[in-house]
Amino acid sequence: MIRVENLSKSFGDLSVLNNITEEIKEGERVVIIGPSGGGKSTFLRCLNLLEKPTSGRIWVEDEEITSKKCNINAVRCKMGMVFQHFNLFPHKTALGNLTLAPRHTGRMEKRKAEEFGMELLERVGLKDKAYSYPAQLSGGQKQRVAIARSLAMKPHIMLFDEPTSALDPEMVGEVLDVMRGLADEGMTMVVVTHEMSFARDVGSRILFMCDGIIAEQGVPGKFFTNPENPRTQQFLNSIIQT
Amino acid sequence: MIPLILSSIREVPPLGWEEGLLWDIWNNLLRGDRPFMLLRGLGISARIAVFGAMIGWVIGFSVALIRISKSKILALLRAITTVYISVIRGVPLLVQLMIWWFVIVGSADADRLFVCIICFGVSSGAYVSEVFRAGILSVDKGQTEAGRSVGLSAFKTMTLIVFPQAVKNALPALVNDFTILFKDTSVVGFIGMVDMLRAANHITAFTFNSFIPLITVAIVYWSVVTPLIALMSRLERRLRKSDSR
Ligand SMILES: Nc1ncnc2c1ncn2[C@@H]1O[C@H](COP(=O)(O)OP(=O)(O)O)[C@@H](O)[C@H]1O
Ligand SMILES: [Mg+2]
Repeated sequence: MIRVENLSKSFGDLSVLNNITEEIKEGERVVIIGPSGGGKSTFLRCLNLLEKPTSGRIWVEDEEITSKKCNINAVRCKMGMVFQHFNLFPHKTALGNLTLAPRHTGRMEKRKAEEFGMELLERVGLKDKAYSYPAQLSGGQKQRVAIARSLAMKPHIMLFDEPTSALDPEMVGEVLDVMRGLADEGMTMVVVTHEMSFARDVGSRILFMCDGIIAEQGVPGKFFTNPENPRTQQFLNSIIQT
Repeated sequence: MIPLILSSIREVPPLGWEEGLLWDIWNNLLRGDRPFMLLRGLGISARIAVFGAMIGWVIGFSVALIRISKSKILALLRAITTVYISVIRGVPLLVQLMIWWFVIVGSADADRLFVCIICFGVSSGAYVSEVFRAGILSVDKGQTEAGRSVGLSAFKTMTLIVFPQAVKNALPALVNDFTILFKDTSVVGFIGMVDMLRAANHITAFTFNSFIPLITVAIVYWSVVTPLIALMSRLERRLRKSDSR
C-alpha cells in the first residue's frame, strides 16, 4: 500500500532520515516508536509529502508520489493525517471542519457532506458538539474531531503523529478508543506514539526509529519481550521507568 | 414649515443669536451656503478614504501574497514590491500627492477626486500589505498543513483557511490604518480639492474667523475617528479572548 525506497531527508546540513526502505501493506497497523528527534515525524510527513524527501522514492497504492507527474492533492485525499496539536480550523464549527475538504475538493455537495459529517461525529461520540467551535472543546474532543475530519475524506490510510501527546492524561483514553475502533474496521494505520499499551494491543508491527533509521522492527510480542538492538532495550527501559 | 425655518436661518440669525459667540457660530457655520460647504468637504474626505482604502486592501493583499511566496518566478515582482513599500513609507503623503497631480498626471483637466483616490489607495496599499503579511504569518503553520493534508490545493488552503484567520488577526490594525487614511485626507486641499479643511479656509476668507471653522473641522474628524478606535479596541479584545485555544 505504501512503499518507501531509499528515503533520505536532510534539513540543510542536518541529516534526519538515512536511506530508509520500508513497505506497509494494506490493513497493517504500524506503530512507530523511538526517542524524540529520531525522525519519526519527518518520516510520517514524507509519506504525504508535507516534507519533500531529499532523495528516494515513495509509492502510495502503486502511484509514485515522488514523481513530478503525481497530483499530490488527489493522493492526500486518500491519506488522512492527525497531528499532535490537532490543527482544527478555529473559524469553523466541528461540523464545518469535517465538511470543508469534501465540499471544496468536489467530492460531496453540501448536504451530503453534512450528513456524512454528522455520521462521523456520532461515531466519535461528539454529535452534540457539531455546532461548537474548536475553542469550546476539550483537548480530547478536539482530537476526536480532527480524526473525524480526516475520515470525512474516506481515506484508505491514516497517519497519526503523536495524537495523544498534547492531551491531559484523562483524555488519552477517549482518543485511543476511537483509534482502536478504526483498527478494528481494518483501516491501514501508521501511528507514531509513546502509548506502549496501545502499541502492544493494536499494532501489528512495531518500528523503532532512531538517528534517522529504522533500527529494529517486529511483531509486538517479540519486540517488547525480546528486543535485539541495545538502543531498543535502552529506550524501552527508559519508558517503563517513567 | 421646517424647510422654511431652515432657509430663513440661512439668511438671518435665530432670535437671541444677534451678537457675540452665537452670532459667530451662525455666521461661520449656518449662514448661506456655509453649512453645505463643510458637508460637501466631509463627503469628499469620506469618498477618498473609503475608495482609497478599498484599493489599498486589494493592493495590500496582493502585495502581501507576493512577498510571502517563495516562488522563483515571482522574484522580480518581489523586488518591485520591496521598492514600492520603501518608497511609500519614505516619502510624505503630501509629496506623493503633489507628484501624482503635478508630475504623473500633469493636466489641470484631470479628475482631481479620481487622482486623490488613486494616490491614497496606492499609498495605503503599502501599509496594508505589511498588516496583511503579519496577519498571514500569524496563522499557525499547522493550519496550512492540515488544509493540505486533507487534499486541498495550496490556493484553496490559502483562501478558505489561512485568509479568514489572517483577516481576523489583521482587522484591528486595518481599522487603525483606515483612521489614519481618513485623517490624512486633510492634505488634498494642496491640489485644489475642496475637502472639509479647505472649505473651512474658504469660510475664514469671508468671515475673518478661523477659530470656529477650524474647531468645527477638528470636532468632526474627532467624532468620526473616535468610534472607529473604540471598535478597534473591541476587536482586539475579542481577538485576545478567542486566542485562548
Ligand atoms: N522543518 C525543520 N527544519 C529543520 N530541522 C527540522 C525540521 N523538522 C525537524 N527537524 C529536525 O529533524 C530532527 C528529527 O525531527 P522529528 O522528525 O520531528 O523527530 P521526532 O518526531 O522523532 O521527534 C530533529 O533534530 C529536528 O530538530
Ligand atoms: Mg515528532
